[in-house]
Amino acid sequence: METKKIMWMLKKDLIVLWRHKPRLFSIFLFPILMIALFGYGMGGSIENIPVVVVKQTDGPVTDATLNAIKDTSLYNVKDIINDPQRGREMVESGQVKAAILLPPDYENLTSSNSKSVVIYVDSSDQMATQALVPATQALFSQISAKIGMQKLEAMGVPSTSVQVQSQGVQTSSPLAGINFQNIMNSINFQINKIYGDIKYIDFLVPAILAMTVMMGAMMSMGESLAGERERGELARLFMTPTSVATVVGGKIISRLVIQTSTSMVLIVAAIILFGITINGSMALTILLLILSALCFVGFGIMVSARVGTQEDYIQMVMPFTMPMMFISGVFYPLETMPWIFQKIAYLAPLTYANDALRTVMLKGGGLGDIWVDVAVLLGFTLLFFALGVTRFNRDI
Amino acid sequence: MNGCELMKYAIETFDLTKKYGNFAAVDTLNMKIENKSIFGFLGPNGAGKTTTIKMLTCLIPPTSGTANVAGYDIIKYPNEVRQKIGMVPQLVSLYGDLTARENAELCADYYGLPKDLKAERIDELMELVDIKYAENKMVKQLSGGQKQKVSVVASLIHQPDILFLDEPTIGLDPTTKQVLWELIEELNSKGHTIILCSHDMYEVDLLCENVGIINQGKLAAFNTPQALKDQMMAEEKSAKRSRMSEIVSEIEKKSSPAINGTIDELKGIIVDSEKENGEYREISILINNLNDELVAKMTRLPVVFEINEHHSGRIKMDISKCDNAVNDVIWTIIKNGGNITSISTQDPSLEDVFVKVTAREKTEGE
Repeated sequence: METKKIMWMLKKDLIVLWRHKPRLFSIFLFPILMIALFGYGMGGSIENIPVVVVKQTDGPVTDATLNAIKDTSLYNVKDIINDPQRGREMVESGQVKAAILLPPDYENLTSSNSKSVVIYVDSSDQMATQALVPATQALFSQISAKIGMQKLEAMGVPSTSVQVQSQGVQTSSPLAGINFQNIMNSINFQINKIYGDIKYIDFLVPAILAMTVMMGAMMSMGESLAGERERGELARLFMTPTSVATVVGGKIISRLVIQTSTSMVLIVAAIILFGITINGSMALTILLLILSALCFVGFGIMVSARVGTQEDYIQMVMPFTMPMMFISGVFYPLETMPWIFQKIAYLAPLTYANDALRTVMLKGGGLGDIWVDVAVLLGFTLLFFALGVTRFNRDI
Repeated sequence: MNGCELMKYAIETFDLTKKYGNFAAVDTLNMKIENKSIFGFLGPNGAGKTTTIKMLTCLIPPTSGTANVAGYDIIKYPNEVRQKIGMVPQLVSLYGDLTARENAELCADYYGLPKDLKAERIDELMELVDIKYAENKMVKQLSGGQKQKVSVVASLIHQPDILFLDEPTIGLDPTTKQVLWELIEELNSKGHTIILCSHDMYEVDLLCENVGIINQGKLAAFNTPQALKDQMMAEEKSAKRSRMSEIVSEIEKKSSPAINGTIDELKGIIVDSEKENGEYREISILINNLNDELVAKMTRLPVVFEINEHHSGRIKMDISKCDNAVNDVIWTIIKNGGNITSISTQDPSLEDVFVKVTAREKTEGE
């Protein structure tokens, strides 16, 4: 008999969803929208920053430099001008994010003085500055190395000039012996990506999944319990000989089914839209999402236990959801945050959901790698349910 | 209706109390509601009426004391109580996005009705309240009266012994009200005990065999509507008599020109009192050709104690309560060529009782 009652809640919620097409639409569209926004908006690397180059002289070095700048996808060269003052003005007026100033003696290779390339950046744009400065530095150190070698050649050292010209500075020369190319490249930097080439979007997707499940579960619980209480619908159930656990159980099952199907849609959308790959087990990923959904539904029930209206519910849930989104390592790794936030993050269930999902989806981890996360999530879930059911107010 | 057949009382409360902090919303309430009766439960807003109902329907637990509802203790056997009661709450508590029938089906399953009985019972009830024609409409599309009918179906699906109705006719048009009143009487005749909470005194007076008035958490009055009204009249009389004796003693103490006013008041009260002893009632008649001569004729009638006012065709007077008084008055008017358009008598209403009882409690409380 209790099963019948529980199933009624699912049936009722599905009927209501079916009769409210816009609601159905938004339940499935919202997660896709989230992933699209974060994926396209934040997930990709920064490119095409508008810049202007100021050249005050002409010659092969300048041309080579200009070509190098144009070839870098980070820059979108708006113009090449001669007036340094104008370059600065263009940055100030916001036409470009940076002006790269090549000095007047840029072509003078024989000079022993080092030449100063100046870059004016729009430091009001943090993201652009952070991307531009190191990239420009790297670019000019390459150019500087090239010029250095040309200087050595000009001083009469033979043999490798052709090599340098054709292969560029990055590759080490195959020739043995005294080789300036080798001197230049004596320190070799090698990157070993142990989990393969992971883009920011790959880092984001597991957390976005967890976050969407959290938002979906918490927000829908407001409508499901506080909303029904407010409209008096819950009263009808509580007048019948039915325990709080059964009523709440029905709500849990119903929400869980809906949340799980939204998560599926989300995973499929992430795969189709961004070509993400799940390195670990798909089944484990889905189980983790269900566990996270349960945990947040539990949180929703705990809050709904005493509130009378949907508005009260939202007011009470907001202070938890919003900070949790930012604190639990959705966008940035946990370790980059101030220590106090790191400590608080360990109190947020979302942190564990994120960690577990990343371990499985990015690193291909198994249950053995995420058992701590799973245990903590289970603990939270049980605590929320216990508090929710015992504190639940039957009053209408 | 099983066990309830044998019981004298459908509901019995024993020092039922609900406290919120230091405030007692319901304060040691003791009352007995007869089985199979229609009981009117009245009280001003915030008097503890809803709290009492919530305790009796096992929605909130009492702070102390207890009650027997349909023979079961509300604290020890809440689920048995819930199985025996139905409630039509003030706020229509149905799923607006489900149809009338789906709502009834949901309730049937929540009350554990066997599958084969479900459809039959729903049809039967829907026909009883005359809502079958709208069974496949979503509840939110129904009118207030239709919703209330579906709510009644949902509350009766498990054939409860006791049906609580909280302001069932509030906001309904007079015709729909009438239909619901007839339904309430029909349900009562089928053996359901009805607990009717209402602010509509006319409704309570019309339907209820017994009335309880709760004020500041305590039972302020409990009786049949007629007894309450009679009691009120008697109280008014005794109040006048006691004022009379006060005045008499004042006259005895003082003797000065200032006393004239007091003596006049005494005279007035004596006249009133005499009329009361003769059991007077107020009658109001609209005569479209009322004239001074007619008024003078009426004044001379022995059954007429006093003409209170007469203007624009309406004449209000206090007449004797004896059987032929109204007859005499009407006969006199007709004999003298008066043309009666309408006639009404005014007895104390349940509303007067309500206002008086709750006002008195308030003064005492302060």
